[in-house]
Amino acid sequence: MNFVVRRFSFYFIAIMVAITFNFVIPRLMPGDPVDALFAAAQGRMPLETLQAYKEMLGFVDGPMWVQYLKYIKSIFTWDLGPTIMLYPLPVTELLAVKVPWTVGLAGMSTVISIFIGLIIGTYASYHRGGFVDRFMPGFWAFVGAMPQPVTALFIFFILALSWKWFPLSYGANPDLDPGLTWEYVSSVLHHAVLPISCMILGGIGAWIFNMRNAMINVLGEDYITMAKAKGLSHGRIMTHYAARNALLPVVTAVSMQIGFVMAGAIFIETVFNYPGVGLLLFKALGSRDYPTMQACFLLIVVFVLVANFIADLLYLWLDPRLRT
Amino acid sequence: MLSHPVIKFLRRFYRGNTAAILGSLIVVTVIIMSVSASLIAENEPNKRVARGHQPPSAELWLGSTRSGKDVFSQVLHGGKISLLVAFGAAVITTVIAVVVGVSAGYFGGRVDEILMSITNIVLVFPQLPLLIILAAFLGQVGPLIIALIIGLSSWAWGARVIRSQTMTIRNKEFILAAEVMGESKWRIIFVEILPNLISIVVGGAMGTCIYALMAEAGLEFLGLGDPTIITWGTMLFWAQSNAAFIVGAWWDMVVPGAAIAIFGGGLALLNMSIDQISNPKLKTGSYIKTWRRMKAEVEAQRLQP
Repeated sequence: MNFVVRRFSFYFIAIMVAITFNFVIPRLMPGDPVDALFAAAQGRMPLETLQAYKEMLGFVDGPMWVQYLKYIKSIFTWDLGPTIMLYPLPVTELLAVKVPWTVGLAGMSTVISIFIGLIIGTYASYHRGGFVDRFMPGFWAFVGAMPQPVTALFIFFILALSWKWFPLSYGANPDLDPGLTWEYVSSVLHHAVLPISCMILGGIGAWIFNMRNAMINVLGEDYITMAKAKGLSHGRIMTHYAARNALLPVVTAVSMQIGFVMAGAIFIETVFNYPGVGLLLFKALGSRDYPTMQACFLLIVVFVLVANFIADLLYLWLDPRLRT
Repeated sequence: MLSHPVIKFLRRFYRGNTAAILGSLIVVTVIIMSVSASLIAENEPNKRVARGHQPPSAELWLGSTRSGKDVFSQVLHGGKISLLVAFGAAVITTVIAVVVGVSAGYFGGRVDEILMSITNIVLVFPQLPLLIILAAFLGQVGPLIIALIIGLSSWAWGARVIRSQTMTIRNKEFILAAEVMGESKWRIIFVEILPNLISIVVGGAMGTCIYALMAEAGLEFLGLGDPTIITWGTMLFWAQSNAAFIVGAWWDMVVPGAAIAIFGGGLALLNMSIDQISNPKLKTGSYIKTWRRMKAEVEAQRLQP
């Protein structure tokens, strides 16, 4: 129980730091972002909205700490003001539409890359010096070093644009009504194949490395020799004895990996015009829509923290010593 | 001369290690080519030398961009800045990671607690989105600022790794001996602990180099960099905004992308080999096969009556 409480207070501090960051950044910048905003909206924005923005970014009258408290209140009441690019649509409504797509994309691709990565890593380390062990790490080191937007564009160009195997844009066929019909679901899946594959290409290498390295350390332990001496089958030693213990250090690396996943989502959603939070962030950059940008950032931080929390639960399940 | 310890070490490091040889060759070649860009490339990177989007030919080895500039010359000159950003960010990150990691690991107690809670919070922040927001508020940022913000935001993982390694080392006998002999804390840190961390620190620095290269390319690809300065990232940005793939000018996009992938891949291969110095168990290579054959022979002999 202690473990969960400690982690929760950590997450709370982390989210407060993110909010503070969002609060401080507009104040450190040269000039007033609200004036820049007003200029960017090119007269489409009435004066009272400008005032609302000032409040949203915390530029209310009064001392700094009052501004700060008001800003925190606006975050926790989920009242982030209107967007600029699609004025006067509220930021929160816009985000709510985008969240499921990104969660699906990032979640699915992470689960698949962990699954495949762990299998390859386990296999490679258990069969040291074999084909998989000698060529997979080098190969994936190279694939992992390719800039994600370029790989994504390349795949997009060949499979979607030239060969027309996959759709060019959107998360589903826009002519279909969203719903749990076979038509709609299959359209969503068809649209998701390429973005998810690109995310997997970018992320799987790290899991293979982490798992292989962790496995190699575990395989030297006495209990593995013991299991072999008992005459257990290789499959059982590999999964129940070695892999299970090797998973612990791999799970700790999640906090770093998940940040990369979210970064990848920004590029890949942009390339495939996939309607998620990443594409929204990109579009907000283009139209200097600071409120939307900040909301996207906050949301991405929340995604990462939730993923970390899931990793914590996994850790708790894997390591019985923490369950006291 | 040949028995100098450094040479001995290098010989041992490279022998039979294809990944390390290949990685070093790639990294050194790319660095030399970028540094001597103005000697190798005939054309100025910013000069219009041909019509737009000419395919690779005998005169223009890698074709021309939309605005008729020599892609070959651009990729060499752009490499200079991209590599500087990557190395600069790696130096900043490494210095912070070493200072935080070693202090936390060596001093322990309250220092460790405070430093590690800061590190854990920085670690949990998604770095690239953070960079994007910072860059967006700063307006278009030049390579120097990009190197600074990458360097200042990506030290947390390294600090954690270095801390745990420092903690293992500080409990070894030779550190206790040095403490009993009354050596100063600074001498223990710099003379006794740091040399034992070298492979981890160098490995971490290379990892950051790869990351910084990609982060820079990513930021500039999204249009947050200064598009007038030629780097691999801004080349990607221009290629993308001119829809290079769609009009069939694949070289415009593939060349800078491949440059990043080749250099990053070379660093990654080298990094793998450096990991193997700090943890020899991780080695891959043909000698494992030799070892397995010998083991099989021994077992076959044992089974014979």
